[in-house]
Amino acid sequence: MEISVVGSSDFVTGFRLAGIRKVYETDIEGVEPVVRAVLEDKDVGILVMHNDDVSKLPESLKASLNASVQPTVVTLGGSGEGSTNLRDKIKQAVGVDLWK
Amino acid sequence: MAVQDVKPTRSELQDLQKRIKLSQNGYKLLKMKRDGLILEFFKILNQARGVREELDAAYANAVEKVNLASAVDGSFTLKSASFAVDAVPTIELKSTNIMGVVVPKIEGSDVHKALHQRGYGLVGTDAYIDDVADAYEILVEKIIVAAELETTMKRLLDDIEKTKRRVNALEFKVIPEFQEQVKFIRLRLEEMERESMSSLKKIKKKKAAQA
Repeated sequence: MEISVVGSSDFVTGFRLAGIRKVYETDIEGVEPVVRAVLEDKDVGILVMHNDDVSKLPESLKASLNASVQPTVVTLGGSGEGSTNLRDKIKQAVGVDLWK
Repeated sequence: MAVQDVKPTRSELQDLQKRIKLSQNGYKLLKMKRDGLILEFFKILNQARGVREELDAAYANAVEKVNLASAVDGSFTLKSASFAVDAVPTIELKSTNIMGVVVPKIEGSDVHKALHQRGYGLVGTDAYIDDVADAYEILVEKIIVAAELETTMKRLLDDIEKTKRRVNALEFKVIPEFQEQVKFIRLRLEEMERESMSSLKKIKKKKAAQA
């Protein structure tokens, strides 16, 4: 399986240099269809995205990205919001905010 | 089933008592499963928190390196070097079982490469580009670890929630309803007993009067 990266040109260049092949360079309008296509790709195990790109996606797609296990979505950058979704999930399941 | 719909018979009472016992057993087991899952979750939570912090630090470092390289060499050189890399890191998904929850175990291979294995020419590039490649390889390693832990946490959380719902449903809905039905049948049976007793007494009185 492979890792896939979706984002702006600045975001993806470094990942190309690390050898990742499934790199999709796109502007902010084009993110949504690319993400939908990557979610369908059975050969992608991890999807890496920038937090700012994720936050601009429609809510329904955001929810399916959060819930998706294969591929697992890892978000980077922004204001350290990567753990917020997980934090909400913990609060919902356990009833206490354990991420503090 | 509402209380009124129950047939007030002895066999129904026995049946209900069996079902209460079964539900209580299930309730105990599910409660233990929920507690076990939460314990497992706590173990992973601490690891995951550390990994998230490392991931953010690695990303900040990588961005700094890529900005530096594009300032020194220009983004065109950086891009052309990045297109030349041909060693693709792959990941392998295995699965392990934590209390009935299947969680993935992700292993990465060929992530960290030596300078000569990367594929871009050493003459046209400089140390800044090597630094970028290094930083991003470290970042990818951290991403793989974070992905495994976060997926495990997601799955555990889903299962904790599911188990919690089941435990609550049994504790607050199913078992109390059965108990209510048992109470109703007992009362009804007692009532019927009293009715038959009084009618027997009446018949006895009538017979005594006739004789």
